[in-house]
Amino acid sequence: MASSRDDFIIAIRSAFLKKSTKQKFSLLTLVLVSIVIIILSNLDFKVIRYLKIGINEIVYRSTFFVSVPENFIKNSYFSVQQYSNFYEDYKKKIAELKKLKSENISNEILKSENIELKELIEDYTLTKNKILAKVIVDHKSPFLRTIIINKGTADRIKIGTNIFDKSYLVGRVIEVNYKSSRVLLLSDLNSNVPVSIIPGNIQAIITGDGVNSGKIKYTKDNLNESIKKQSIAYTSGTGSIFKSGIPVGKVSITEKDILINFYSDYTQLKYVFAEVELEIKSDTDDQVKLTTQTNTEKIKINLLNEELDILNDSNVKLIEKNSYLNSEKNLLNQKIIDLQNQILIQENKVKQNNINQEELEFLRLNLLYSSKCQKSTFKKGYRVGTKEYKDCIFRRGKNIND
Amino acid sequence: MIKLNKSNYFYKIYTWLPIIILYLSVLNEYDLNYLNIEYFSFNFPLILIFYFSVKGYLNFDYLLVFFAGLINDTVIGFPLGLSSLSYMLICIFASYLRNMTIRPHLIKDWFYFLFVISLINSINFSVLFIFFSYDLDIMFYIINNLFTFLFYIPLNFMFNYYFKAIDD
Repeated sequence: MASSRDDFIIAIRSAFLKKSTKQKFSLLTLVLVSIVIIILSNLDFKVIRYLKIGINEIVYRSTFFVSVPENFIKNSYFSVQQYSNFYEDYKKKIAELKKLKSENISNEILKSENIELKELIEDYTLTKNKILAKVIVDHKSPFLRTIIINKGTADRIKIGTNIFDKSYLVGRVIEVNYKSSRVLLLSDLNSNVPVSIIPGNIQAIITGDGVNSGKIKYTKDNLNESIKKQSIAYTSGTGSIFKSGIPVGKVSITEKDILINFYSDYTQLKYVFAEVELEIKSDTDDQVKLTTQTNTEKIKINLLNEELDILNDSNVKLIEKNSYLNSEKNLLNQKIIDLQNQILIQENKVKQNNINQEELEFLRLNLLYSSKCQKSTFKKGYRVGTKEYKDCIFRRGKNIND
Repeated sequence: MIKLNKSNYFYKIYTWLPIIILYLSVLNEYDLNYLNIEYFSFNFPLILIFYFSVKGYLNFDYLLVFFAGLINDTVIGFPLGLSSLSYMLICIFASYLRNMTIRPHLIKDWFYFLFVISLINSINFSVLFIFFSYDLDIMFYIINNLFTFLFYIPLNFMFNYYFKAIDD
């Protein structure tokens, strides 16, 4: 018993402390160093922060080069997959194109209205600019959904900078180095985005599901039931983490959750846009202000002109439609008159027909009952041709029929 | 089998191959995640470190493993030092197993490996959740643990071939 305990202690001691011929440090030392680094990084210690930035700069570049073979295989795999789905995609695209064409005009009007409203809430008072950034590392860790881009503090990227794919939001910067940054994607479990869901203007917070979509974590006033399928989620701008009015995704409802299908495919990101703020120098402040004002005025005039064009287009279309409807109306009125005339003629014909039938009936009955209704020397009756004589004939005929 | 001349550069590179593969894997994350199989992922570095530590391979320098951990943290985005701690703990457990075992047995090693990776993933999860307030899906950890465990046997056979080539 004692010897087995000794063996155990020797094995433990050996595992922790014994250095092999080629080992420079014992495992215990390295474990202690790791723990110290974790504690210091939790406390956001300056040395660790700089060490991390240094490692990041080297590692991100190295990762980009090391990933070349894997990326080649990955891209080939996606290409083959795309070719196999080519025909189905083509059919889908044609259907989508038809639908989009029909929606285009109303979208144009909404777009100009949107720009105008944004100006009203002074969303464009800050001079902002989007810069293009290359995704250098996009490994999908099973635990965190992040990407690394090749822009950092040197390019005015800051923690919290919004990142876009085309005009769709994909995430925000959570770690920034001199020439690289880490972006937390919206699909990550740690990502929380305040959104407005339209129609209904429902305020909600969406969080990533850790895979490729998001789910609604919270809705104001518990309006979950009011959310409809295919509703659209835009950033609401609450909390000033994300700019307002950026499209995020479409709603799909499952039995368990209300999901958000993001517009961008985060597995296919190669280039993204980072929205950085431009600094305006103070010595040329007035001039810059004037230029900015002029630019704003120009933008406003352009917008108004665009809006005017759209309104004119819609107006012309409405006038054309109106004249077409008027001519249609006239034609229909003419048709109504013709039909009314036809009805009158028909009615007259029916009337005449009824009279003729009555006459015919009288003549038929007259042949049968004239002797019974006619006035003679020995019989009380009516004179032929009088109304009373006619009534008598019909009455007789009726009595016989009954 | 191709025979390697012990004095040439290829042989030297070959003897350092485990460390090279470890660095490539932490830089590149060979985990086939892009296949989009739901929840599928496995931790290749854990298998590699455990195997070569159990074998007591001389060129498998712990300091280099420690640095590989730092790189892994940087690539994944975890707090610095966490993967290093995990790798060092694996080395300790593997070293303990090596010292305690007289006749190595694959299945016993395999289940010991399951215990070790479960413990390490639990530590990882707890540290991230408690000290760094990360929101993590425990399901990912469990599935990752399971696949890492399952991949140990095939990779074990591959690594055995590596040793055979050195011995030859």
